[in-house]
This record gives sequence, structure tokens and C-alpha cells, in this order.
Amino acid sequence: MIAAIRSTAACFWAVMRTKIAEQMAYRSHFILSVILLIAGDLIVPLITLLVYRSGATFAGWTLHEALLVQAIFGLAKGIAFPLFFGMVNTTLGLVREGTFDLLLLKPRSVLWMTMLRGLDLDDFGRLLSGGVLFGYALSGIDAPSIAGWLQFAALFAASLAVLCTFALLLSGLLFQWVGSSRVFDIFDSVTSFGMYPGTIYSKAVQQLLTYVIPVGLIANMPAVALLGRGGWETLGAAGASVLFLALGLWFWHAMLGRYTSAGG
Amino acid sequence: MTMIEVNQLTKTYMTHERGHSMREIAMNLIRRPMKEVHAVRDISFSVNRGEMVAFLGPNGAGKSTTLKMLTGVLHPTSGEAKVLGLTPWKQRREYVRHIGAVFGQKSQLLWDIPPIDAFYMNKAIYGVPEADYRSRLDQLTTLLQVGDIIRKPTRQLSLGERMKCEFIMAMLHGPELVFLDEPTIGLDVFAKESIRDFIKDMNKQGVTFILTTHDLDDVELLAERVIVINHGEIVYDNALTNLQRMLGDKKTVRIVTDTPIRMLSLQGVTVMNSISDVEAELEIDTEIIPLKRFISTVNEQCGIQDMAITPLPIETLMKELYGQGSRAMTAAAASAGVLAHQSQQGDLSM
Repeated sequence: MIAAIRSTAACFWAVMRTKIAEQMAYRSHFILSVILLIAGDLIVPLITLLVYRSGATFAGWTLHEALLVQAIFGLAKGIAFPLFFGMVNTTLGLVREGTFDLLLLKPRSVLWMTMLRGLDLDDFGRLLSGGVLFGYALSGIDAPSIAGWLQFAALFAASLAVLCTFALLLSGLLFQWVGSSRVFDIFDSVTSFGMYPGTIYSKAVQQLLTYVIPVGLIANMPAVALLGRGGWETLGAAGASVLFLALGLWFWHAMLGRYTSAGG
Repeated sequence: MTMIEVNQLTKTYMTHERGHSMREIAMNLIRRPMKEVHAVRDISFSVNRGEMVAFLGPNGAGKSTTLKMLTGVLHPTSGEAKVLGLTPWKQRREYVRHIGAVFGQKSQLLWDIPPIDAFYMNKAIYGVPEADYRSRLDQLTTLLQVGDIIRKPTRQLSLGERMKCEFIMAMLHGPELVFLDEPTIGLDVFAKESIRDFIKDMNKQGVTFILTTHDLDDVELLAERVIVINHGEIVYDNALTNLQRMLGDKKTVRIVTDTPIRMLSLQGVTVMNSISDVEAELEIDTEIIPLKRFISTVNEQCGIQDMAITPLPIETLMKELYGQGSRAMTAAAASAGVLAHQSQQGDLSM
């Protein structure tokens, strides 16, 4: 067991090393990508800021509380995008070209190899914008309790599980919808509901966004935990993320079975 | 000792097809007519440890599909295969640890960074111990004479250098069986020679190679045995030298005569290339006209100035083989009694 973990960690580090070397081959591209990602991720918080400056609000939420939701969204994307979402592009490109075969020839889990192949260091830039925004939002709210931080940690892990599931679903779809680069639009449309405080939606939509397509778990629920507004029962919602992740893993492997390679 | 045992392997898949007219393109948005493709039909064969076997066939014949099933990339529709005692598509992770693959048209290297980085990554993926990695890398770089280029960015390497690095990538974990898919495509004569020498070297060290190629020089220089697939079926499985007997004893004759050759009319002689009135390339079926009679007749009728007799080029043999129906070929082969390999193996079906 320890040997397997050590081997997996060595594999991850070796791939990470080559990814860093690849990024360093085109430093200006890397730096520009990071800057553009940060700028892009700050658009919604800036709009929120403008909304509050104009006197309007999200009912029951101060500016800093609303920004906390968006900051957590940014942090979650800052981890999930470089680790998980690269596999969507990997599947998109390799399945279309028929070179996904090369991943199947490696003595590791295909999903693990797809994820490693897709590691995208540019996206770690999102962590920077999310981190800065998180610090700013925290500075304007009451300091969270230890229980609040613990709830936040558990719900943030659930948030990452939800994002990972979205990556699995999109990547899986591409085994069938070969070359459909529009799958990212599906993700953006669905998850945009998670960028705002949950209470702005009706009860029915809140339930939908918590238990069916748990985008509310990406940022709203972890923020609610930090604000001390969520009871321990919110952790039950994290259970939905585990089920969602299980569904994503099943779906991805089922779709992998549809891979037909390309003509030789 | 048998390394690969394939029994009645079949692969069928569905694909959609459409015509090229605007109407058909528009209709394709609503409904996609599906078509069943029988890529591989009931093929059976076996390969012994240490063999070098060439898989040949025209484009779309089913050879790549067969290799993809044997590498564990594709699941067959039916049939069985055991390679190194494992079922490739069922025990993929354990199986691929023992095999290597080089694709002439799919690179495993990383374009922007030196091959040495990709080698290091493969070392970690395969879990190769450091000492083994060092010694194999030394051995392979020496054999392929690429010691100084593996630290240059891949994009700056020539095609030949890249292909040598692809071989290192495929061999670093010490595979017992290596699949080569068009390994010399696009290479110059020097790079081809170097790669072929390397393959021969590795084969002498006990590595089994399965080669698919359209470069028939590769086949002549490397493979002892050829398996020809056409329309998803094996139409030939034997030594290359026996192929000629199977297709009839034919020779190519390049001849220069005193008087115009067009005056010549002989049964069993086909003019392949008329270079001038007095010079031509002919194909002689020696079963119809023995060589001795051909020479004396031509000498009498046209007067031979110069002549070179060679066996039928492998390209011609392959064209004949690809052009004939597989069932007819099987019957012809059986009656010609040249399926020596089949009878040696005992259970191979054509």
C-alpha cells in the first residue's frame, strides 16, 4: 500500500516536473495566460462591487459576504481547473486524433493518466485571484469560529468533488461527442448559478442546486459555513457531492468503453 | 514457446456514413445512417517468443485494428487472445508493463522539451528502478547513437532523431514484446538503416517484434514471417520466401535485344514496362514458359544483347495478394501446400 502511494506520488511529481519544463519553454505565454485568467476571474466580483456601489444588494448579504461566495468559487476553480479540467481538453484532442491509444498503453489507471496528461499549470493563477479576493472578503466579516472553519474545510472538499465530477462528465461526453469543444459552455452555463448567494433563488431552485446538480456546493455552502449560518446538517449536503462524484466516475468509465480509436 | 495465441478474433463496429452533396450533409444533421463494419473476421494465429513478424495488408484491411486489440487498446467483438499469458483488454495494466509500442505517426515524446524529460516521465510511470533506467538508457543511446541529442528540445530534432528517441521511449522499461506501426515512415535511407539495425539487435537479445508497415524493404530486411490481412481476414501466414511459390513461379526480366521486342509474342510473358523498342521489363510465368525456353526463343526471334533476371519484386507479389479474394487465396494456398507454418502450428485457421 505504501509502495503504491509512493509510486503514484513519484509519477505525479515526474509529470508535474515535465509540465513545469513545458511551461518554461514558453514563459511569456505562461505569464500572459496567468494574467488573463486572473483578469477574467475578477470580472464577476467587480460587477458585484459595482452593483453594491450603486445601492443595490443581494437580499440579506453584505458586499463582503457576497464576495466571499465568489472568492470561494475562485479558490475551488484554482485547484480544480489545473488538476481536473485539463482532462477535458486532453480527451477532446486525443480522442479526435485517435492518440488516446497512447494513454491506454501505460500501466496506470486510464483516468489517472488522462488527469496527469491534462495538468495545466496556468490555471493555478486562479488560486491567486481567489486568494486575494478571499482575504478581502474575510476582512469585512466577523472572524469565523473553529467549528465554522471545520465545516468550511469539509464543504470545500465537497466543492472540489463537485467540480471534479463536472470535469469527469464533460471529459466522458467527449468519448461520444468527438471534438465537441462546446462542452465547456455547458459547464459555464450550469456553474454560473453557483457564483451567487444561494438565497437569491427560490426554495425549489436551491434544493435543485444542492441535491440534484450540486453547484450550490461549489461556493455558497462553504461560504455559509464560514459565516456561521449553516448547521451541521449542511454536511448532509456534502453527501450529495460524494454521490455526484461516484456518478461522474461511473459515467467516465462507461464512456471510455465507447472509445473506438481512429483509423490506422 | 508461444507468446501470442489468437483464436477467432473478430471486431465489428458501427460507423456513420454520408454522401458529399449539400442535401446529404443537411440530412446528416437529422439522421445519420449507420453502417456495420467488419474490421476483423475470425482471425487465428500464434507467434513464438523471439519471432519478428510483419503484419501486412492494404489500407483498411484490419491490421491496425488487430494490433490495437493485441495491445489492449480495443476490445474485440468476439474471440480470444492470450499474449504473455494475459488477455490484453482484460488485464491491460499488468499486460502493458511487458510490451512496448512505436507508432510512426503518433509521438510519445513531448514536443517542447527534450526527450530526456519524457524518458524520465516514462520511468516514473512504469516504475523503472533508477539503476535499470540508467543502464538501459546508456545502452539504448549508444546503440542508436543519440547520446548528444536527447537533451535538445524535441521540436529541434530531425524526423530520424525523433524516431530513434521514440524507440528509446518504448524500450526503457525492458518490454518483451514490441509493436511497431510504420516505424520507418518518412525516414531517409540512413535513418532507416540505423532503425532496422537497432530492431535486429534487440530481436537478437530476445525481444519479439510485431511490425506493420507499407515499406516492403522493412519486411524483406526484418521479418522472417509475414501475416497478410485483407478484408479483415488472414490471407497469408508464412515465410516471405514462400509467398512467391504460392503465387506461381514468376520472374522479372529486364532485357535488351537486337530487334524490336514488340515483335515478340509468347504465352506466359507480360510486358511490364516498355523502355524503348529494344529494351523492356517483362514478367515471366515460368510455369507456362520455362526460363530456358524463354531465353532460346527470344534469342532466336530478337537476339539478346543484355539480360537481368530477378525474382518478382515483393511489391508485385503484395499487389497480387491484395488483389485476390481471400477465400480464393486460402484455397489456392492450401492446394499449393505452402502453408507450412499453418501445419507446423497445427491449429491455425486461415
